[in-house]
Amino acid sequence: MTKNTNGYNSGTNAKSGQAFMDEFLGDATSKIPTSDAVVVALMKSEEIDAIIQEIVIPMREENPSIAIEDRGGYYWIKATGKLTFDCDEASEMLGKKYTVYDLLVNVSTTVGRAFTLGNKFIVTNELLGLESKVESVY
Amino acid sequence: MASSNLAVKEALKANPVPSSVDPQEVHKWLQDFSWDFKAKGGKYPTKYNLDVNTREQFKLTAKEYARMESIKEERQYGTLLDGLDRLDAGNKVHPKWGEAMKVISNFLEVGEYAAIAGSALLWDAAQSPEQKNGYLAQVMDEVRHTNQTAYVNYYYGKHYYDPAGHTNMRQFRSVNPLYPGVRRAFGDGFLAGDAVESSINLQVVAEACFTNPLIVSLTEWAAANGDEITPTVYLSIETDELRHMANGYQTLVSVMTDPESFKYLQTDLDNAFWTQHKYLTPFVGFGLEYGSKYKVEPWVKSWNRWVYEDWAGIWLGRLQKFGIKSPKCLADAKKDAMWAHHDLALLAAALWPLTGIRMELPDEEAMNWFEANYPGWYDHYGKIYNEWKSLGFEDPKAGFCPLVWMMQNGHGIFIDHTSTLPFCPTLSKSASNPSFLEMNGKRFAFSEGHGERQWLQEPERYEFQNFFEQYEGWELSELVKAAGGVRSDGKTLLSQPHLRSTDMWTLEDLKRLNIVIPDPMKIMNWQPVH
Repeated sequence: MTKNTNGYNSGTNAKSGQAFMDEFLGDATSKIPTSDAVVVALMKSEEIDAIIQEIVIPMREENPSIAIEDRGGYYWIKATGKLTFDCDEASEMLGKKYTVYDLLVNVSTTVGRAFTLGNKFIVTNELLGLESKVESVY
Repeated sequence: MASSNLAVKEALKANPVPSSVDPQEVHKWLQDFSWDFKAKGGKYPTKYNLDVNTREQFKLTAKEYARMESIKEERQYGTLLDGLDRLDAGNKVHPKWGEAMKVISNFLEVGEYAAIAGSALLWDAAQSPEQKNGYLAQVMDEVRHTNQTAYVNYYYGKHYYDPAGHTNMRQFRSVNPLYPGVRRAFGDGFLAGDAVESSINLQVVAEACFTNPLIVSLTEWAAANGDEITPTVYLSIETDELRHMANGYQTLVSVMTDPESFKYLQTDLDNAFWTQHKYLTPFVGFGLEYGSKYKVEPWVKSWNRWVYEDWAGIWLGRLQKFGIKSPKCLADAKKDAMWAHHDLALLAAALWPLTGIRMELPDEEAMNWFEANYPGWYDHYGKIYNEWKSLGFEDPKAGFCPLVWMMQNGHGIFIDHTSTLPFCPTLSKSASNPSFLEMNGKRFAFSEGHGERQWLQEPERYEFQNFFEQYEGWELSELVKAAGGVRSDGKTLLSQPHLRSTDMWTLEDLKRLNIVIPDPMKIMNWQPVH
C-alpha cells in the first residue's frame, strides 16, 4: 500500500471484499468526484524504458505526487497538476533525434487534457479552451 | 480560374508561408486558411452550434501523422511476424483466454468499423479547420484499428491450436444473443444520431472512459494468461485513442460556451453514458474475469479506477464548474459494475451453444476468488453453477441444457429492448427494475428504468427484431448449423461447454435435447415486478 493518494491501489481500491463494496456503493461516492490529477500510460519500448528511468522518476523531486506503476506491457503514471515530457531532453538522453511525434508512438492513453507544444508533450488538469488557451509556440 | 488564383494570392498574403518545415509551424499555417465550410453546408446537420475557433490539441500535419503511424505499424507487425512467431506465442496462451479473444477482438472490430463513419460524420459537421483536421486523422485511425482488431483473430486463426471461432466469428455472431448489444452501443451510438451526440458516445464516453479498461487494462489480463499478441496490438491501438479523446474534449469545448447548445448537453451525456456503460461494463468484466485462468484484479476495482475516479473525476468532475452534473444513472452504473458481468456470465453459460467459444464453468479456485472479491457471489451464482455441473453440464450424453433448466425453474430470459442485451429478472443482481410496455400491439421488455426512458423518448430509434422474435420455432441444432456453428468435420460444434478436446458436443448431441426456440414474452405469462 502506498501513502501517495495517486498510488495505483490507493483510496477505495486499497480496501477489499465487503469493505470495498460498502465504500464503493456508499452514498459518499454516489456523485462524481472532482480530481486535479492526470494519468498517462506509456507502452513499453527501448526509448520509454529509458525515459521512465532518466526523466520521469527524477520528476518526483519537484512533484512528489507522481506515482509510477509497472503494469506489464505499459507504465501507468498518475500525478497531480501536470506532466510534461520534453522530447529535446529525451533526444539528448537517447542520443538520437526524438520528436514529440516519436514519443506519441508509445503513449497508450491519457486522462486529462493532452496536447503538443513544440517538442513537448503535456497532459494537464487545466480545462483547455475553457480555463486556458490551447498554447502554440507559433 | 482567375478568381481562384486571386483567392490563393490573397490567402498567401494574409498567411505568409512558414519560415521552416517545423510540423507545428506548418500546421499553424495550414489551419489559418479560413475556408468557409458553413457556406458549403454539411450533409449531417446538428442541433448544436460548433464554435468555428475550436483548436486541435495535437497539431497534426499529414506528414507527421503518416510517419508516426508507419512506425507504429512497423513495430507492431514486426513483433507479431518475427519475434512472437519464433516464440510460438499463439500456443502459449491459456486456452480459456484464447477462447475469450474469439469474441473480444471480433466484437471490438464492430466498434472500430462504426467509428470510421462516426468520426467522418463529425468531420462533416465541424466548422473549425483545426477540429476537422483532428476528426480526419481519426477517420484514418479507425480504418487502422478495424484492420488491427481483425488481425488479432486472423493471427490467432493461424497460430492458436484451436482456430475454430477465430476464423468465422463474423458469421456465427449473427445468432449470438450477446452480439446485438455491440451494434446498439457501437453501431447506433457512434453514428446514428446527431453528430455531437455521436461524439459524446464515441469520443467522450466510449474512448475517453471505457477504452482504458477495455484496451489498456485488458492487456494485463492477456499477458497474465500467456497472451503477448493482444498487448502488442491493443496498446498500439490505444496510442491513437488519446487523440480521439482530445477530439471529444474539444467537441465539448466547441459547444459549451453557447447557451443554446449547452441546454442539450446534459441529457445527451447522460444517455450516452448509460448506452455505453450498459454494454461495456458487463461485457468487459465478463471477458476479463470469466475468460481468464489467472486473475489480475477484480473488474469492479478497474472500473472504480478508470471509470469513476479518473474519467468521472478528471473529466466530468472538473467540468462541474461549467454546469456539467453527475449522470442520474451513476449509482445504478456502480451497482452494475459490481454485478452486471456476473449476470451476463450466467446467461452466457445458459446459452453456450450460441456463443461460438469453448467455455467452462468456474472451478473451485475461481469460485473462491469470486466470493472473496464479490461477497455473496457464491450463494447467488456459485450454487447454480455447481448444480449445473452435477446435472452434467459438460457431458454430451447427459442430456442437460442450462437453458431448459432456467425455463423449467421459472427463470425466463428476456431481451432488453433498448440495450438489446438478454436479462433474467428473477436472477439479476445488477441494477434491475424490469418492466414491459406495449405499443402497436407488441410487447417490449426493459430491464431497468434508464433504458425504458430512452425508448419512450425515441421509440423509432430502437426498432429491432430480437433473438427470440427472429428465431422462434427453430430447433436449436438446425439454427447452429445454419449459422456456421460447426467445425471442419461438419458435425462437431464450434461452441463447447468445456475446454477439453475429448467429449466434444456434436450437432446430434444438441439435436437430442429437442430444444425449440421459444419467445418467453409469449409463453411465460411474465408480469412486471412493479
